[in-house]
Amino acid sequence: MRSISKSFKPIYGILLVNLIGFVLLYFYKKPFEKITIYIGLTTMVLTSAIYLFILIKKLGDEYLFLIVSMLASIGIIMIYRLDRELGIKQVIWFTGGTVLFLISYFVFSRWNLWSRLIYLYAGTSLVLFLLTLIFGSDIKGANNWIVVAGFNFQPSEIIKVLYVMFIASYFTTPEKLNIPEITLLERKISVHNRGVFIACVYMFIGFLILQREWGSALLFFIVFYLFLYIYGTGLKTLLFNGAMAFMGGSLGYLFLYHIKVRIDIWLDPWKDVSNKGYQIAQSLFAIGAGGFFGTGLGLGRPDFIPEVHTDFIFSAICEEMGIFGGIAVILLYFLLIYRGFKIALSIREPFGKSVALGLTLMFGFQTFIILGGVTKLTPLTGITLPFISYGGSSLVSSFISLGILQAVSKKAL
Amino acid sequence: MFEILSSLLKYIFITIIYIFLFSIIRLIYLDIRSVNKKASDLAEKAPYLKLINRRDELYFKVEESYILSRDKSLGRAAKANISIEDPFLSGEHARFIHRDGSILLKDLGSKNGTLINGVRLTDEEVPLNNGDKIEMGQLAFLFVDNEAGEGT
Repeated sequence: MRSISKSFKPIYGILLVNLIGFVLLYFYKKPFEKITIYIGLTTMVLTSAIYLFILIKKLGDEYLFLIVSMLASIGIIMIYRLDRELGIKQVIWFTGGTVLFLISYFVFSRWNLWSRLIYLYAGTSLVLFLLTLIFGSDIKGANNWIVVAGFNFQPSEIIKVLYVMFIASYFTTPEKLNIPEITLLERKISVHNRGVFIACVYMFIGFLILQREWGSALLFFIVFYLFLYIYGTGLKTLLFNGAMAFMGGSLGYLFLYHIKVRIDIWLDPWKDVSNKGYQIAQSLFAIGAGGFFGTGLGLGRPDFIPEVHTDFIFSAICEEMGIFGGIAVILLYFLLIYRGFKIALSIREPFGKSVALGLTLMFGFQTFIILGGVTKLTPLTGITLPFISYGGSSLVSSFISLGILQAVSKKAL
Repeated sequence: MFEILSSLLKYIFITIIYIFLFSIIRLIYLDIRSVNKKASDLAEKAPYLKLINRRDELYFKVEESYILSRDKSLGRAAKANISIEDPFLSGEHARFIHRDGSILLKDLGSKNGTLINGVRLTDEEVPLNNGDKIEMGQLAFLFVDNEAGEGT
């Protein structure tokens, strides 16, 4: 293994995976369509072009993009196998995502004012949230979509990036959130800027709960809580926010039917396996059916799982590429998170540090929450698997985050 | 037909993903640009030595990198500029000399000798090039000079 890996350039791995995947997909279903080959070639050319561009122009860390394009390649192959039309759309989104990756890299590294725009982040997020509340349409149980000119667009994915920038700029310059003293009934009340910050964060989470996006709400809270812990804001703040989360969770379980169902099918999906527990039970069957090396691409039946191309794509990967394929995906995320932390540790500039930390935590916990959900480790909350799941907004927002991380890594090295 | 193809290729497919993983881990490990902060700060200007050994294999204290901003001697003795308590090093083992913008390595008559890219040094001074592998005692270093050539 060592002698192979010594002469082996990682980019060849991505090209070979795409080659094998798309050759298989070409012969998968009659009639054999040429477009499969074109789709495969597009992915391969695009990945190598951007990788070479990063290497030649020295745009910081070169491993981030390699790891991510491997994940995206596995995702595209899997989605194309499940549904040709969605696969073609996903490749278009991937192309758009890589372009936005480069754009966000250059925009973020070009100007140095990002730590000063805290009100812009909060304001833009608020506007996006209000737009979703007013114009949002119900798709699949969550009221979080805006339909613009036939395109379904999920504002909460963009807000994710804004949220990290908001938190990072607060921890860089907390005094920006100072508000003047309020005179109420002859008494002066002064609020510490941390109070204002916590209120803002709860506003974000509250809006997400209004849209019934439990997964994102949980994700936002975890990132916020870890920032409080890492920046040492004191035991009192931690306990207060922990108590709030506990209270919110218990109230949700007691009074919201939706959350109660999620927890009940997590504890025992077999009680109502034909109805509520159907999705998670099918996911477990799929993972079990795969065995060590899987059934082989196109030979399993992952289409029994509802929503297999978005939230449950990991089960499909486990069924057709086996538990080894699934572990490889998890290891790829490990490496991505490791690189993210490495960048956050090695940069000196405080804002870049917080941004790198926040984006890495976002990637890490998003992966954890959805992988835990589909393997019945934690209650299921529907969020996408970054870079693999089908979904334009999710892929685009992940690539924007990656572009920012790449820009930070340029300063770190 | 497709069944046979797919069930054969799945092994190759997964093996490639794992080779990809291992090669990335290996490259990250060898990534000389992010060795440690001290080296990366000075890497732009001064050439430095990067340790290739895994530090946990060695039972004596050794840095991940040594910066060669001026003439430096290397040896086991405490008075050497770079002092490493490797019992296979001599007290004054070798010396790095700056001359005309390049760095020369001179073996100071050490007992166990010094090797550059596997070739044993005589008492002559030998100019070092970026990427040269230097072995002495139980240690192996990579010579990195970003000014002379592009670090890869």
